[in-house]
Amino acid sequence: MIDPPATRQSAISGGKRRIFAGIALVLMLLLGAGLLLQHRLRQQQLWNRLLTTDSTRVTQGRELTAFAISKARPLYASHCAACHGADMHGDRSKGAPNLVDKYWLFGDGSVFEIERTLLYGVRSEQSKSHNVTDMPAFGLTGRLSAAEIRNLVQYLLQLKGQPHQAAAATEGRAVYFDLAKANCADCHGDTAQGNSNYGAPDLTTDVWHSGDDAEVFYDAIYSGQHRSMPGWIGSLNLAQIRALALYVYARSQGIADD
Amino acid sequence: MIDWTYALRRPHRSVVLPAIGAAIGLMLGGYGLFHAAPQMTAVPAGYIALVNQKGILASDFMAQTSAVTGKPFEQTTRAERDKTLQDMIDEELLVQRGVLLDLPETTTEVRDVMSAAVNAQADAASKGVPPTDAQLHAYYDAHRARYSTTGTMQVRDLLLRVGGYQNANQSTAQAQTDAVDALYRLRAGAPVEQVMQHFGLVDSGRADGGEVLDFAAKLHLGIKLFPIAAALSDGEISEPVVDADGVHLLLMQRRQPPRVADFAGVRPKVYADYVESVAKRAQDEALSILRRDAQIQIAPGPVS
Repeated sequence: MIDPPATRQSAISGGKRRIFAGIALVLMLLLGAGLLLQHRLRQQQLWNRLLTTDSTRVTQGRELTAFAISKARPLYASHCAACHGADMHGDRSKGAPNLVDKYWLFGDGSVFEIERTLLYGVRSEQSKSHNVTDMPAFGLTGRLSAAEIRNLVQYLLQLKGQPHQAAAATEGRAVYFDLAKANCADCHGDTAQGNSNYGAPDLTTDVWHSGDDAEVFYDAIYSGQHRSMPGWIGSLNLAQIRALALYVYARSQGIADD
Repeated sequence: MIDWTYALRRPHRSVVLPAIGAAIGLMLGGYGLFHAAPQMTAVPAGYIALVNQKGILASDFMAQTSAVTGKPFEQTTRAERDKTLQDMIDEELLVQRGVLLDLPETTTEVRDVMSAAVNAQADAASKGVPPTDAQLHAYYDAHRARYSTTGTMQVRDLLLRVGGYQNANQSTAQAQTDAVDALYRLRAGAPVEQVMQHFGLVDSGRADGGEVLDFAAKLHLGIKLFPIAAALSDGEISEPVVDADGVHLLLMQRRQPPRVADFAGVRPKVYADYVESVAKRAQDEALSILRRDAQIQIAPGPVS
């Protein structure tokens, strides 16, 4: 049976429509694939730029910084927040320092120094980690008596400008500088402002990683401190570590929000 | 000129087409065979150099340059940077050579360093937890012998020789009987020299009555006589003791036994020992895991 001409014309039009629709679908798919590819290439370029840009200049590019922060946020949440807190304010119970207070135990807080800490950690038993020394247990080892430690605590309170016993603080100061006893000045310095090569904190500030009352000071001097942090090299790739360093730097400088 | 369309339309095209494909494949294969694989020339981002495809981290390079020159990296000269990089490349080459030579298998020093590094990683966590005073006291109580002062003694060792010495061919049994008699007289208060002369006792030469530290006395008296002497008090005389050279009587003139030091006096040592024991425990645990997961086969013979 032969269809009438009008019906045939309609069938042809329907076939053409299907062909056009198919072509349009293919074009859209190609366009989508192209855009996806372009996005991936762009991302790859940014990862590469993140690593190849000098760490002193890496914060100057707004796009790069935004990219790094967007990639670093989930990494921080999964790798760092457990100790340093989601808000980066640290955790005194763990001795994990505040990362946004502009005081740095190790290094000067530059992207490069933060990256070094992230790469190799602190006292992580990797030879490249920050591991020059740690806070000795002056009481447990018998190097200082309880009275000497109490006096030293009073001196620390005096340094911080807090209420203290003046006579005991004077005795404590002598212990602080006594080469044969505490010799605190060797690491914390004559002015007690710390040494970031050793991870010795500034004792004149209100920044205390384990607490800021006399009891905590006493315990730190009596039992010592051996804070550690894992190195992430091998667990995270170099670009991820750079992104994290940039993120922490940006937060510490108030460039980025959490 | 070849009419490809004609050729392809021919019934033999089922042969022609695979043949063309094979020819193209051979050409590509030949090209690949006679042209060296392209070298990986681009150093990956984050690295300063590749040494036999092993990367030197840019961060390590910057840190080392800064450490060697004592200046911030930005202030170092190109020559200083180049020197540092060449040194790092040299070191990497030497390490790679060491691995190739299987130094961990053949060189004691390398094995020692590697073992120590693995142990250090195993006990790293234990160092983060300082002990309490109670733990130190408990450790001290459990290991008091380690914190004892060394004892001293002034002892004489009198000997009845057997088997053809001064008092002839006396048997061990005869010497023991004489020694019991001599002991009875000595304990009764008879002068030592008189008893010695009567029974033929001589100084053994192992102890001359001078004051010696316990470890020295142990060295001279030997492991058989020393514990007996160490248990004597001032003025006490031991029972006859048979040793290889005859029968001995030990006369303790003055004894200062070892004393356990007060905790306060040995606190630093207790602390160090405790920390070491915790580290050792962590290392042992890590080693037991390694042993558990390892396949260890021991040949029959010397140890089975």
